[in-house]
Amino acid sequence: MKKVRLTIIACIIGFIAMAQEDYTRSLNGIQWVKIESNANMKIRTHSKNELLIKANEPYRIPEKAKGLKLVGEGGTDNTDVGFSVLQEGNNLIVKNLQKSEEAEIYLPASQNISVKSKWSGSIYIAGFSGEVEASALLNGGIEIEDVSGPLTANSLNGGIEVSFNTVSQSAPSSISSTNGELDINLPANTPANLTLGTVNGEIYTNFELSVPDKNGLRAVVSRKVKGAINNGGVKIQLSTTNGNIYLRKQ
Amino acid sequence: MKEQQVSDLLVDYLDGNLDAKEAAMVAKHLEQSPALRAELEETKKLLKAFKEEKTAEPSDRLRSGFYQMLEKEMENDGVRKITSASRPNTFHFLRIAAGIALLFGSFLLGMLWQSNDFESEIASLQTENQEYRQTAMLSLMENGSASRRIQGVSYAEELTALDPEILEALIRRMTEDNNITVRLSALEALSNFTQSEKVKDALIAALETEQDPGMQIQIIQTLVEIQEKKVVSPMQELLESNETEPYVKEHIKSLLPNII
Repeated sequence: MKKVRLTIIACIIGFIAMAQEDYTRSLNGIQWVKIESNANMKIRTHSKNELLIKANEPYRIPEKAKGLKLVGEGGTDNTDVGFSVLQEGNNLIVKNLQKSEEAEIYLPASQNISVKSKWSGSIYIAGFSGEVEASALLNGGIEIEDVSGPLTANSLNGGIEVSFNTVSQSAPSSISSTNGELDINLPANTPANLTLGTVNGEIYTNFELSVPDKNGLRAVVSRKVKGAINNGGVKIQLSTTNGNIYLRKQ
Repeated sequence: MKEQQVSDLLVDYLDGNLDAKEAAMVAKHLEQSPALRAELEETKKLLKAFKEEKTAEPSDRLRSGFYQMLEKEMENDGVRKITSASRPNTFHFLRIAAGIALLFGSFLLGMLWQSNDFESEIASLQTENQEYRQTAMLSLMENGSASRRIQGVSYAEELTALDPEILEALIRRMTEDNNITVRLSALEALSNFTQSEKVKDALIAALETEQDPGMQIQIIQTLVEIQEKKVVSPMQELLESNETEPYVKEHIKSLLPNII
C-alpha cells in the first residue's frame, strides 16, 4: 500500500515538473508593452493587470540543451517560456527568442501596446481599448479586431485587416502598407476626416465621402482621396504603394 | 488621556453627553485626581448658577413707550410721502435722461480710448495662441506614442508658412522616426511646402538614406510631381543599387521619362 502511494506521489511530482508553467508579470507602472517577434504572435486581453505569456505546448528544450539557457539576438530567456522580458523606464520590452514557435500573450485591454514582427511572422491583436502600434517589417500580415485606437499599423509585404468597434477621437489613426492590401472596417457612424492614398493600387469604399468642392467643381483626384464622413472628426490615414485599399462600412 | 483633555470633557460629562466609554474614562480620572474633582465641583456650581439666572423681561412701561414711538414715526412717514409726490414729474424724467446720457457718453469715450489697446491685445493673444500651438506641435512630435507624433505632424497641414524650428522638427520626423507611418505623415505634411528650397533638399537627402521601399516611392513621387530635376541623380543611384527592391526600380523606370 505504501509503495502504491509513493508511486502516485512520484508521478504527480514528475507531471508538475514536466508541465510548462505560463509566465506572468505585474504591469504596475508600465505605460507601454513593446513586443518583438520573428514568429507568429497572438495578442489578446484578459482582466488581470499583468502580462501572461502562454507556454507553448510543447515548448521543447532539445535534449542536448538541457541545463543551458536559450540565447538569441534579443537577449537571454529569463521567463522559461522562450522569451526575454525586461523593463526599460516605464516600457516593458518583451522579445520572443524562438524563431518558429507561435506565441500567445495576454494583457489588460487598456494597455498601450506596440507589436513588431521582424521576419515573416504575422500579428493578430484583439480587444484592446488603449493605443495600438503594429508593424510587420518583412513578410508578415497584420489582423486587428475589436479595437478603438488610436492605431498605427504598417506592413511591407503582408496585408492589413482592421476592424474597429469605435474610433477614438483623441489622436489620429494611420495604416499603411507598401505591397500588401488594406481591408478596413469602420462603424457606419464614425465621425472622421479620411485621407486615402495609393500610388499603384485602387481605392474602394461604400462610405459617402464629402469631398470638398472647388468653385462647384468636384476635386479631381488621382492618387489621393480626402473627405469627411459623419461631419468630420479624428484624422484617419490609409495609404499603400502597390496594394488596393478596401474601406468598409460596418 | 491627559488631564487637560479630561477637564475639557467635564461639561459634557455633567450634561450626560458622553458615550459610555468616555464617561468611564472621565470617572476614572476623577477618582485619581483631587484637582480634577475640585474642577468638577466648580463647574457644577457654574452650571447651576446659569440655570438659576432668570431671563430678563421688558417692563410694561418700556413696551407701551415703544408702541407710542412707533405710531409717531408712522405718522411722520405719511407726511413725507405727500411731499415727495407733489414734486413735478418732468424733473424726475430729466434726471433719468441725464443719467442715461452720462452713462452712454462715458461708455463711448471709454470705447474710443480703449479701442487701440483692445486691437493690439487681440493681436498679441493670437500670436500667443500660435506660439502655444507651435510648442504643442513640437512636444507632440517628440511623444513616445506614434499616433501622438502623427497628431503633431498633421498640425502642420493647417499652417500656411513653416517656422524654421517646426520645419527642422518635421524633417527629423521624416528621416529619423523609427515608425514608418510617422515618416509617411511627415513626408505628406512637408509635401505641402515643396516651394521651399530647404524642403526640396531635405527630400532629396532623405531619398539617399531611406531604406524602406514604400517611403522611397512616395518621396520620388512627390519630387517628380513638382518636376524637381535634382531628384534624377538619386533616382539613377537607386536604379543601379543592388539593395533596391525590383518594384521600386520599375517605378523609377516608369517615372524617369517624365522628368528628364
